[in-house]
Amino acid sequence: MNRHVIEFEGITVRKGNNLLLDNISLSVSSTEFVGIIGPNGAGKTTLLNVIAGFEQFSGTLSLFGHQESRKRDRQTRLRIGYVPQLFQIDPAFPILASEAVVTGSIGRLGLFRSPGREEMERAMRLMEMMRMAHLADRPLGQLSGGERQKVSLARAILQQPDILLMDEPTANLDIAVQKEVLDLICEIHTRQDLTLLLVTHDVTMLPAAMRRAVLLDNGKKIYDGDIDTAMSSETLSRLFQYPLETFDRNGKRFVSYD
Amino acid sequence: MTENLVDILGSPLIQRAILASVLCGASCSVLSVFVVLMKMPLIGVSMSHAAFAGAVFAMLLGINPVSGGFIMCLITAGVLGPLSDRTDMAPENILGIMFSFLMGLAFLGMGILTRTKAGAFNLMWGSLLSLSGPDIAILVFVTSLLVLFVLFFFKEIRLVLFNRRLAAATGLPEKAIYYTVLFLTGAVVSSNLTTVGGLLIFALLVQPGATALQLTYNLKHFFVISTASGIGACLSGLTLSYIFDVPSGSAVVLMATAIFAAAYIFSPKRNATKLKEREHE
Ligand SMILES: Nc1ncnc2c1ncn2[C@@H]1O[C@H](COP(=O)(O)OP(=O)(O)OP(=O)(O)O)[C@@H](O)[C@H]1O
Ligand SMILES: [Mg+2]
Repeated sequence: MNRHVIEFEGITVRKGNNLLLDNISLSVSSTEFVGIIGPNGAGKTTLLNVIAGFEQFSGTLSLFGHQESRKRDRQTRLRIGYVPQLFQIDPAFPILASEAVVTGSIGRLGLFRSPGREEMERAMRLMEMMRMAHLADRPLGQLSGGERQKVSLARAILQQPDILLMDEPTANLDIAVQKEVLDLICEIHTRQDLTLLLVTHDVTMLPAAMRRAVLLDNGKKIYDGDIDTAMSSETLSRLFQYPLETFDRNGKRFVSYD
Repeated sequence: MTENLVDILGSPLIQRAILASVLCGASCSVLSVFVVLMKMPLIGVSMSHAAFAGAVFAMLLGINPVSGGFIMCLITAGVLGPLSDRTDMAPENILGIMFSFLMGLAFLGMGILTRTKAGAFNLMWGSLLSLSGPDIAILVFVTSLLVLFVLFFFKEIRLVLFNRRLAAATGLPEKAIYYTVLFLTGAVVSSNLTTVGGLLIFALLVQPGATALQLTYNLKHFFVISTASGIGACLSGLTLSYIFDVPSGSAVVLMATAIFAAAYIFSPKRNATKLKEREHE
């Protein structure tokens, strides 16, 4: 079962005179863990939005082996989880962290059925696993940026998607929590048959399970392949236009800069 | 005094006014939860002016003002919905233009109308004390529609209010819910032209929700508090207007403001945040 779950053929996104994505082709197989890496404004969020169905594009997009039409059907949406890049919320908005997590399951429930005890328990178990059970009864708007990010991740996981799109899920987190969230993402990846796309510009902190990198620059795909090859000082320095060093220690590659 | 009160409450005219107040308060304040939490006060204000303009022109043409208002609201929703969905334009500017255009249109109609009919001013202020049977029937229908919508789609509404994009990503019919809200806004606003009028209704579309925002983190309580404060404002406004013989619409709006001010001052949410800030100092 190693068919392609995501297939881009010449995908182009244009807004006015700006070319946000320039003729991108890309295939992702089931259960792959792909990093989308590039500097600010490279088009990473745009690429995720195309997959999530939030962006008009030209070219062909196939998901789960079916070519996508203009209007996304509900079944496909259910199978794609989305963790947006920093989502804002009014501090006074009436929703608790646990309620926000439970919203992940309501697409599956369909109309006219409320999330019952079962969904609530599933959410609580997940929050315990993510070491955030103590946040359950706090209003979402009062949580810190990092805590909110974890809530957002938990709600996407609760949706039980086949593809999980994450847009800089570890931005705003301190190093310990970054590590914790990335480990958690790896754990979920091994436990479920999940295809992961993780957007980041932070090459100093990449999850170990991420074996493939797609490098984006200025709307163009400039590299697609093994992550260790991508993480060379030459490639990275060119991509970020800043001198970056890489070195290996204990069988792992590290990136550092002056 | 008590006998007097019984007499007053026994009069069919007053009973009808009380019913009108409850319906007006309930419909506007349930809707105001959406207006406040979806951050669309400008859509609210544009819709109320659309209703007003539509009603004025309906009067000019000699058709029913409420249906004229509703038709104009539908047209406005049809234009505003897709426009405010677009990310490449600031919706505030479009709404500002739309709103002033509709206002200009309404006053143009008013200018022509007042030369012939005095009734036009009622569309601006409304009156809780002089509603007809059909007016009340329309209000009952619209209010029930709104309440049923909230009851049946509560979980979807919660997520759409929280984040429309996440709602869409989760597989909810987010667009359908959004457009239903716009449609219901039109229905509420135009059916309340008779109660508080096209200008003052805006206060009732914002203040009950803003009041609830001061008081709770629970969405169910949010709807209840909003509704209670809206109905409270209408009933107390009606009482004041009866006792002091002032226009009911203005009395209602002043009461709604007073209720909001009280909620703001005694807000546990605001006080909690303030306390936290002080601890941090
Ligand atoms: N509505 C728009 N109109 C025109 N250009 C846009 C629009 N939205 C985004 N862009 C441009 O498209 C480019 C890609 O944006 P995108 O959000 O995909 O970048 P990104 O790689 O996610 O960046 P970041 O790391 O900062 O999140 C940027 O240069 C941005 O300025
Ligand atoms: Mg981005």
